[in-house]
Amino acid sequence: MNETHTHTQTPFFADKQEKLAEILSRYPADGRRSALMPLLWEVQREERYVSEERMRELAEIVGTTATEVKGVMSFYSTYHDQPVGTFHIQVCSTLSCALAGSDELFDFLSNELGIVNGETTADGRFSLQKVECVGSCGTAPVVQVNDTYYERVGRGRCRHLVDALRQGELPPVWRERGGDTVGAAKAEPVKQPTDRGEG
Amino acid sequence: MKVRVNDVELDLAPGTSAIDAVFAAGGDVPYFCSQEYMSPIGACRMCLAQVGAPRKERDGSWVMDEATGQPKIFWFPNLMATCTTQVMEGMVIDTLSERVKTAQNGMVEFTLINHPLDCPVCDKGGACELQDRSYEFGDGLSRFQFDKRHNEKHHPLSDLITLDRERCIQCKRCVRYFEEVPGDEVLDFIERTAHTYIGTADPGLPSNFTGNIADICPVGALLDASSRFRGRNWEYDHTRTTSMDDATGAAIIVDARTGRIERIKAALNPDVNKTWIDDGTRFGHEYADSPDRLTTPLIRRQGKLEPATWDEATAFIAERLKGLSGKDVGIAIRSDSTLEEGVAAMALAEELGTGQLDHAPRPAATLIGNQVATITDLATADAILVVGDLTEEAGVLDLRVKDALKGVTPPTLMPHGVPIADLRLKEHMPRQREILTVAAPYRVDLMRHAGATVRYPAGGEAAFFRALGKLAADANALLGEADEAAAGMSTGQARALVARLAAAKRGVIVLGGLALNRRESAEAARALVKAVGAKELAVGPMANSYGLELLGVLPSHERYGYAGMLDGAKALVLSHLDPAQDGEVAERLRGKDLLVVHDIFMTETAHLADVVLPAASVYERDGTVVNLEGRFLPVRAAPVDAGSSTDLTGVARALGEAMGKRLEGRSVRSARRVLKKRFDIDFAELPDHGLLPRAKSRGPVKALAGEVAAGTGNVLVVPSMARAEYLSRNRHLAAAVGGNRLRVNPEDAVKHNLTGGAEVRLKVGGTWRQAVVHVTDGVPRGLMTIPSLPEQPVGLAQADLAGIVVEQVRLEVAS
Repeated sequence: MNETHTHTQTPFFADKQEKLAEILSRYPADGRRSALMPLLWEVQREERYVSEERMRELAEIVGTTATEVKGVMSFYSTYHDQPVGTFHIQVCSTLSCALAGSDELFDFLSNELGIVNGETTADGRFSLQKVECVGSCGTAPVVQVNDTYYERVGRGRCRHLVDALRQGELPPVWRERGGDTVGAAKAEPVKQPTDRGEG
Repeated sequence: MKVRVNDVELDLAPGTSAIDAVFAAGGDVPYFCSQEYMSPIGACRMCLAQVGAPRKERDGSWVMDEATGQPKIFWFPNLMATCTTQVMEGMVIDTLSERVKTAQNGMVEFTLINHPLDCPVCDKGGACELQDRSYEFGDGLSRFQFDKRHNEKHHPLSDLITLDRERCIQCKRCVRYFEEVPGDEVLDFIERTAHTYIGTADPGLPSNFTGNIADICPVGALLDASSRFRGRNWEYDHTRTTSMDDATGAAIIVDARTGRIERIKAALNPDVNKTWIDDGTRFGHEYADSPDRLTTPLIRRQGKLEPATWDEATAFIAERLKGLSGKDVGIAIRSDSTLEEGVAAMALAEELGTGQLDHAPRPAATLIGNQVATITDLATADAILVVGDLTEEAGVLDLRVKDALKGVTPPTLMPHGVPIADLRLKEHMPRQREILTVAAPYRVDLMRHAGATVRYPAGGEAAFFRALGKLAADANALLGEADEAAAGMSTGQARALVARLAAAKRGVIVLGGLALNRRESAEAARALVKAVGAKELAVGPMANSYGLELLGVLPSHERYGYAGMLDGAKALVLSHLDPAQDGEVAERLRGKDLLVVHDIFMTETAHLADVVLPAASVYERDGTVVNLEGRFLPVRAAPVDAGSSTDLTGVARALGEAMGKRLEGRSVRSARRVLKKRFDIDFAELPDHGLLPRAKSRGPVKALAGEVAAGTGNVLVVPSMARAEYLSRNRHLAAAVGGNRLRVNPEDAVKHNLTGGAEVRLKVGGTWRQAVVHVTDGVPRGLMTIPSLPEQPVGLAQADLAGIVVEQVRLEVAS
């Protein structure tokens, strides 16, 4: 019962004590659990995912359980408990994006890549995931590739995006921060089909 | 603090939650996430109400409503979750307006969106909070026309608890329970939104108190795996009674159907177990429905035991007794017999004129000390020393110790009972671990929660207490090296512990069986209790140990005690005791002129008996027990079909009739007349939560036992939450705990060629024990532990380690 788990791998923070101390120092001593998010991020940035062993390591560091770490990780689509492809494609499926046709977008990507939600292609290049709101409702529908947002993604843009990714590069973004002020037409770098949604 | 709920004016204590104000006013709001004795979190949004309060001007006067001339009520703009809202002076709570009703209706509809509504096949159906509240506060319509979420229907969280992930409504009670009550955080929400489910990264549920989550689940998501699909709630006979599994006297509800016990649930006793019980109590009942229960008396004729009627059996006994002198008869009852059964045993002994009367097991020292703490004293203590394995010995006390670590006093009861939302309780509360010290010869579960732990050498309780006593007498004293080794602690540690106990205003020392079964250690312990001015809580070996000692079911002289009568008496009447497990004792029993065994199974002793009488199990008796704090608690019989079995009062009646006598304990009622004279309590009217008389009335102690446990040995017999004598018949519990564990240090395992999971037989004392090897560094080298039996009390014993028989090697059961 509650025997301590033995580490088979070197702890992630074994040679990063300074970084660890820096992150922990941002929070009060009795609020160590708050450091969980940046620590998870630290691990994932380097290893591309957070393994169960890392979860246990982090749980020990912040004084909580592996279960809670798993709970936090599964809440945010940002964190992965298994390795994802070179390009991690996340399609927002919350209300604004759903109304703007993200379901069809997702089906298109799923057909095009031959994988379903949560899967990675056999060559390890693409992962596809439906996610909850990514906070860019004004420019729905939104597709996030790794850390990059692609906004107002219609069918045409999506094909363009997939083609570019197949070439192994992230295409330049259609900058639409504040898209409402710039105006959709003005921001359009490629031809967008008018029948957004089903076309 | 003046509060108005709808049209009812109330005066409430500051800090009361609004939901309790509503209930105190006789009102009602639905809720799913709040739970008595747990932190309120406002997760389910069912308890919404319209809440308002007056405001003060800068000068401290009320802002007035010109129209009425009364302080103006400023309503909160949104409906408030009443469980997380604290009452304020002049607060007004409205739970009846259309706005509130619409909100409640909407929340019911929302909560039911992803609920499978499989009530017809759900074990909770008929006793389900969601079902009841949906009928009361919903309008039965849903606008959700899409597919419901689908998820796992039978996820085994452990061998004892099954989770249906579709039924879960995410109230978070189970998640909070594990963190707040046993303090073993294990469950959490995984995923988010409609995909959220209850899960864990651990291999199973870790603590000894897992069954309680089945009680508090407001829907049929968490279910007791042992009673799943056994019956519908309205078919059960619910019997509110007291657990006889250990000395705490926890309140339970026994649910029986068609003469079988199907499940046990926790009941409320604010002063004892609150609403929590341990898994041993909850799942340890299956033996009572075992098909090999004795249902009819047996008489030995031509060397064979044959079925007989009660009249034949008692006539046979009466006839054989005539040929004997009464004083040659020994009568012994097990220590979980009720007070009423104790009266029957005493009446029978008096009729026969024998002083050979005893209850067993009985510790070497008295359980009724001078400064007995109550369980509430323990839960509010500011310094606690526990000696022994409290979790296994008296599970409920383990939880009450953890209450003390939180430093929140038990809530004051309200008109509607325990407050639904006690705002002093929070999630992830800091625990004052430093107030708790746990001492034992091996690693015990409670040590994980203690500020300081002591591992003294097995059998070293006396040395441990003497060392503390020495420092209590003289804080500057020094322990010699030998003393330090014997006590398992340095002078510094001992001094710090003594200082903490002495400085405490409400110190409690809990003495387990390990400390009580040797007279020298009990004396040293009581000297320490006196020296530091603490109170003591002595954990008796069984449910009514305290009561039977108080009543005086004791030998007239120590040599007439239980051990003595097995040797010396010519005839024996044994109730629920099985001394013949010890081969040497069995030999001696063969030579008796008359052996009467009153038990529920054909035990080793029953096989030797001249007459076997079928007994009522602990669930089938009416009576009274006295728990370890001296509280008189009612025991009520569940309707279990067990043939013509009866408790000891029934034996006294039948035997008395055969002897032409009307014995005093011939029925529960007749025994209670005797008890009323003795204790001045009306036992028929004993309240559910029991009675704790102020004066500890007790006759003079007639005799004290000699040493119960040996001073030396190579195996430590330890208490066990899952009772060893019945474990093989308690299927689910046995699977969960992995059998009776022979715990062995890894080095000893190699030395004795034992592998984890192996089923072995070994001779402990004179008794062959079956056990499953569990290799752990929790026991020190050179010591093994094995669960105790009523006939093999807690303490050191000598085992034949060279003669261990490995019967079967199997994979170790994970825990």
